[in-house]
Amino acid sequence: MPGSPLRRKLLTTLLLAPAGAWLIVFLVLPFIAIIIFSVGERAPEGGYQAALTLTQYANLPARAAAFWNTLILAPVGAFACLLVAYPVAYYLALKASQRWRLILLALIVIPFWTSLLMRTYAWMYILGGRGIPTLLAYVGIEDLRLINTPGAVLLGIVYGYLPLMILPIYVSLERLDRRLLEASADLGAKPVSTFFGITFRLSLPGVTTGFSLVMILLLGEYLIPTMLGGGKVFFLGNALVDLFLQSRNWPFGSAIAVTLVLVSVVVLIIANRVSSRFSGARQVDLI
Amino acid sequence: MSKSYRDGLPVTSEEFVHQLMRLRRGSIGRRDFLGLTGLGIATAVLGRELGLAPTPARAAENLGDRMSIATWPNYHDPATFENFTKDTGVAVEVNVFGSNEEMLAKLQAGGSGWSLFVPTNYTISTYRKLDLIDQLDMAKLTNFDAKSEDARFTAEGTIEGVVYAVPKNWGTTGFAVNTKKLTKPMTSWKEFWDTAMAEGDGRTMVHDYQLTTIGNALKYFGFSFNSLKPDELAKAEELLIKVKPHLFAVSSDYQPAMRAGDAWMTMCWTNDGAQLHRDIPEIAYVLGKEGGEIWTDFYAIPKDAPNKPAGYALLNHLMNPQVAVKEHIANGAPCTDARVNALLPKEVLENPILYPAAELLTPLEFGAAATLTDPSRAELMARFKSA
Amino acid sequence: MRAFIAAVFAFLYLPIALVVLFSFNAGRHASELTGLSTQWYGKALSNPFLVEALKNSLFIATTSAFLAAVIGTAAALGLARVSPRIRAAFDALLGAAIVVPGVVIGISTLVALVQLFDAVNPMLASIWPGDAPPRLALGYGSIIAAHGLFSMALVSMIVRTRLGSLDRSLVEASSDLYATPFTTFRSIVLPQIMPAVLAGFLLAFTFSFDDFIIAFFVAGSQTTLPIYVFASIRRGVTPEINAIATIVLCASVFMVLLAQLLLRKRTPSH
Repeated sequence: MPGSPLRRKLLTTLLLAPAGAWLIVFLVLPFIAIIIFSVGERAPEGGYQAALTLTQYANLPARAAAFWNTLILAPVGAFACLLVAYPVAYYLALKASQRWRLILLALIVIPFWTSLLMRTYAWMYILGGRGIPTLLAYVGIEDLRLINTPGAVLLGIVYGYLPLMILPIYVSLERLDRRLLEASADLGAKPVSTFFGITFRLSLPGVTTGFSLVMILLLGEYLIPTMLGGGKVFFLGNALVDLFLQSRNWPFGSAIAVTLVLVSVVVLIIANRVSSRFSGARQVDLI
Repeated sequence: MSKSYRDGLPVTSEEFVHQLMRLRRGSIGRRDFLGLTGLGIATAVLGRELGLAPTPARAAENLGDRMSIATWPNYHDPATFENFTKDTGVAVEVNVFGSNEEMLAKLQAGGSGWSLFVPTNYTISTYRKLDLIDQLDMAKLTNFDAKSEDARFTAEGTIEGVVYAVPKNWGTTGFAVNTKKLTKPMTSWKEFWDTAMAEGDGRTMVHDYQLTTIGNALKYFGFSFNSLKPDELAKAEELLIKVKPHLFAVSSDYQPAMRAGDAWMTMCWTNDGAQLHRDIPEIAYVLGKEGGEIWTDFYAIPKDAPNKPAGYALLNHLMNPQVAVKEHIANGAPCTDARVNALLPKEVLENPILYPAAELLTPLEFGAAATLTDPSRAELMARFKSA
Repeated sequence: MRAFIAAVFAFLYLPIALVVLFSFNAGRHASELTGLSTQWYGKALSNPFLVEALKNSLFIATTSAFLAAVIGTAAALGLARVSPRIRAAFDALLGAAIVVPGVVIGISTLVALVQLFDAVNPMLASIWPGDAPPRLALGYGSIIAAHGLFSMALVSMIVRTRLGSLDRSLVEASSDLYATPFTTFRSIVLPQIMPAVLAGFLLAFTFSFDDFIIAFFVAGSQTTLPIYVFASIRRGVTPEINAIATIVLCASVFMVLLAQLLLRKRTPSH
């Protein structure tokens, strides 16, 4: 047996103490702070003033539109991502040659190393008046407006989160036992039924992981709606930033932040339930 | 890149001659001349070696090598800051904001990092009350001359006899229209909002700024621009929520969208109106006949400014009429300083965008201090944006 | 199928191509191509604010990723040795650190730290013997801490997955042969979890390097590259920004290729 029980305990404590301290100081305490703030009042000139009231929570319906935007656009965005990502992951895992697979995988990862801000800014240009609308004007389609629409935001979402969706699906498809597919074909199954009966079903863990990952990130999205939505397509993240940086209503902002965390947790629990139902015994823990 | 004397690099002969001519014309001082040409360091080193001078030549005031300024979109001639860097070795970072609330929020949170910023007249008393800005040390602003300022625009910089801010320029808030796309002539805020929901559908922008966006919505009904009355604000909110789906964007930086042809009509400040019209003549600037805002922007120094010496140096540089005149030609807003006006070309002084007719100016209102901090207006704006 | 795949890759790379193209723009604006020139690369590298932002980002990303790799790995090792109750508590907190949206992390850290500093700074000032007491303020420390929180949770998750598939018979064999726990760890466990630690470090680095929203709130007066880029979008992007983005892209592609090459040399059978 390595070491005495006391030494063993000491070592365990030493291993866990830094992480524990970090989690407490920078996760638990800040969360307690915003809970305290969320029952406070806005100071006369803005900011926070101590109080004990639930006014901020009662005022939550004033952001109903942002809530619905988020709760609708997050799953829709994740689903659109999935529609684009699945064929790519499928191709990479099952169709591409070994060499191409490596190259294409690298090509999926590389965009991560260019700032998302810059790439989204490039979309502002592409969708803005000097981009596609100018090109379309040559073929006679005048005055088309693309930027600052929900469609533009959706496009930005698919663009920004596509690699995050492709990778987990790819991983689950790659692990797939190909003999199953051959067996299915040998037994005379049509390609479509092989796909839905075996391939898709076995890739579900990857699909649910990717889907919940993208969903969770989208719930707090700020940049894409800001840049491609022109301040018109508001997510909860935008409402939150606005309360801290413009209207200086820290208590109300804190109440929204607390709510956003609760929504995220609920979404995650639902996602995990759904995922375990779909994938049977194979529980996929996102966290 | 320009060579600054901080680099201690020799200058080219052309540069030397150019600086010498500037010294002779009196546009730079002797110390600056010595610094710019590298002679300062040479003299200082020599002097110290020979025991002639106890300290290096420019130890009087250490300006550091960088500073930040917070200002408005499209508000300065980039050359102004480049020249300042050339003269002093201090690089200037320009941060752009879309509303006074945003600047206030940043200062309230602490650590803004700015050494100079550009607040609007009605906010200065609040900054003073919250102890966020410094009393200005006028001895350091030798280029500023209170006597040449137009008191009508500059009074709010001084509180109880103490100067907290000095004026940059004044202006109005109207709207800009691309008259090729929206051909119907417009003269009022009523027409602005109605057009936004009709011909201008999907092509109209409003400021991301509660003072003007709510204020000009209040004007639709003929209420005061600064109104805090709940029933009047409720009507304004109703209008704003109705217009919201028809807007192109809610943003205070509308020039790019107007120039690219994405937006056809926007709420607009004088300076942007003048710049847009100068470059794209079909973009007209209109003042609503119901009234609206008249404003003065000031320069002030935050209490927690990390580099106050450079803040003062830049402010003094900007107060130099020779510099200010170029700033105003680039920026396009009317100036409060008679010395600068004397230097401005005639076409600027006669531009109706800058100097509207008296009947348009009379109904305009200055923003009120209470409008800045009123919680119901802040919340109304936030509701409008998230609607 | 192939056409679709090609279209997706075109979609992924069109904006990147534009970013690179405009970095060679001769004109002042990043929105009108007026000619080709490399002048903006020189301007970018001599712009003190941009260079400082880049340096800050590199420093913050390296430090937070390093701390996260060390502390996250330690936590993963430690969690294999504790009772299920403690493990569940840690799991919940680590999970929360990953799930809580960045915007909430940023805001809550700001709120908490501002309160903390307001309380601590006067105390520091009153007990400080000298004239200039140290003042706690937002800056490098707060960004590193906030980024490290997410990264640490990420690293510990990745390393734990790896630990789960670790070959335990080797560990047992090693201790049967009277190797000290530390020797066993160094020669058996560490080499096996190293790829996971490195992967975690890389993920943590890219996350921190690209993060805007957390840094936006907790940076105080410091500037990171994403904050600088965001501010530039408001004041009008010059091709300087494109130039820096292109340099970063090239550097990272180079590193990826280099890493691939090194890995391939080490494992020739693969």
